[in-house]
Amino acid sequence: MNVIRESMENIQASEEMKQSTLLYLEERRKKRHDFRTYSVPGYVLAAVCLFLILTVSGFSVYRKPVSYISIDVNPSIELSINRFGKVVSADAYNADGQEILSHVSLENISYIKAIDRLLEDEDYSHFLAEDSLVVITIVSEDSDTIRETIDADEALRIYGTKTYTSDRTCMEEAHQHEMSFGKYRAYQELSQYDVNITVEDCHGMTMGEIHNRIASCQNHDGSGGGKGYSGGKQNHHGKHHSGGE
Amino acid sequence: MRSAEDINRVMEAYADMVRRICFVHLKNRHDTEDVFQDVYMKYMLHEESFENSEHEKAWFARVTINACTDWLRYFSRRSWVPLDVIDEERGMLDDGFAEVLEAVLGLPEKYRNAIYLHYYEGYSAAEIGGILGKKENTIYTWLARAKSMLRERLGGEWE
Repeated sequence: MNVIRESMENIQASEEMKQSTLLYLEERRKKRHDFRTYSVPGYVLAAVCLFLILTVSGFSVYRKPVSYISIDVNPSIELSINRFGKVVSADAYNADGQEILSHVSLENISYIKAIDRLLEDEDYSHFLAEDSLVVITIVSEDSDTIRETIDADEALRIYGTKTYTSDRTCMEEAHQHEMSFGKYRAYQELSQYDVNITVEDCHGMTMGEIHNRIASCQNHDGSGGGKGYSGGKQNHHGKHHSGGE
Repeated sequence: MRSAEDINRVMEAYADMVRRICFVHLKNRHDTEDVFQDVYMKYMLHEESFENSEHEKAWFARVTINACTDWLRYFSRRSWVPLDVIDEERGMLDDGFAEVLEAVLGLPEKYRNAIYLHYYEGYSAAEIGGILGKKENTIYTWLARAKSMLRERLGGEWE
C-alpha cells in the first residue's frame, strides 16, 4: 500500500454525516413529492390563465369608452359609452350635475336608458322648466346611429331636445376649461357672434340662456347667417341636428 | 427521482470516496458536509442510468470534484490552509502521516486531484483524464510534476 493511500485511509465519512445526508435527502424527496401531489395539473393552470386573460381583456374592452354624450340643461353631465352602448362612467361638469349624480346611478345601463333615468329624476325635472333647453352633444365615430336613437326617444321629444355632434378636439379643449363639451360647443357657437363672451361667462349660464343669446345675435344679424354658423350647418367644431323641434 | 434503497446503496459504496475528495479540496468539515449533501442530492435527481459500477463510481468522483471546485470558486476569498483541515481531522489521522497529508494538500488543485485519484482510488492516467475532462498526456504531466514536488518535500520514501 502506497503512503498516500495509507495517509488517507482513516479519512472516512462518519455515520453521522451519512445519516444526516440521508435525512436531508428524504426531506427534499418528501417536499418534491408533496409539491407534485398537490400541484395543479398543467392543463388546469393553462385553462385558468386563459380564463383570466379573457376576463381581464374582456373587462378592459367593456370599460373602454368609444363614444361620449354630453347632456346639458343647466346640469352638465357627460356619459362615456363603451362599444356595447353601455355607460361606463358619468361625470358632472358643474355643481348641479354633481348634485344629480350623487343620487342617480347611470353606469352599466344603455345610454338611452341613462338619459331617460335622468329625465325621470325628480331633482333633474326641476331644471326642465318651460324656458329651459335640453341639449345633447355626441362625440363618436358612430354618431349617426346614436343621434337616430336619441332623436327617436319619446321622453326627449317632449322637451324639444336639440342634438349636436362634436369631436374629440373640442372635447379635450372643453375639459381643459372644466366644461362639458356640449356647453363648450355652444360657447364656441356664441363666440362667433359675440367676441366679448368668455368661457367663464358661459360657465354661469344655462343652455337656454346661451341659446337665447345665440338666437338674439342671429336675429340682430338679420338673416341668421351670422359669421359662419347657422342651425343645421357645420361650425368650427360641430354640427347641429334639430331634434324634436 | 432515485429510490431511497438506491440512495442507501450508493451511500455505503461511495461515501468514503466523496468524503476524501472533499478532504483534499475543502477547508473544513462544515464545507465538506454541505458538498457531501450536494453530491448525493445530485445523484438522487440524476435520471440517467450507468453502464456499470465503474461508470457510476467515476460519476461520483467527477461530480464531487466539480462540486468542490464550484464551492471553492464561490468562496474564493477564503485562504486555503492545509494545516487547518489536518488539525480538524487530527483525531482520526495517524500522526505519522501528517507530513504526507500536508504535502499532498499543499499541491496545486489539479495535481491534488490527479494524485488522489491515482494513488488512492487506483485510476490510470487515461481514466483520470476521463473524469477530469483532460487528455491522458496532460494527466501524465500533472502526475510527474506532482510526484516531483512531493519528492522534493518528503524525500524519496513516500512512494
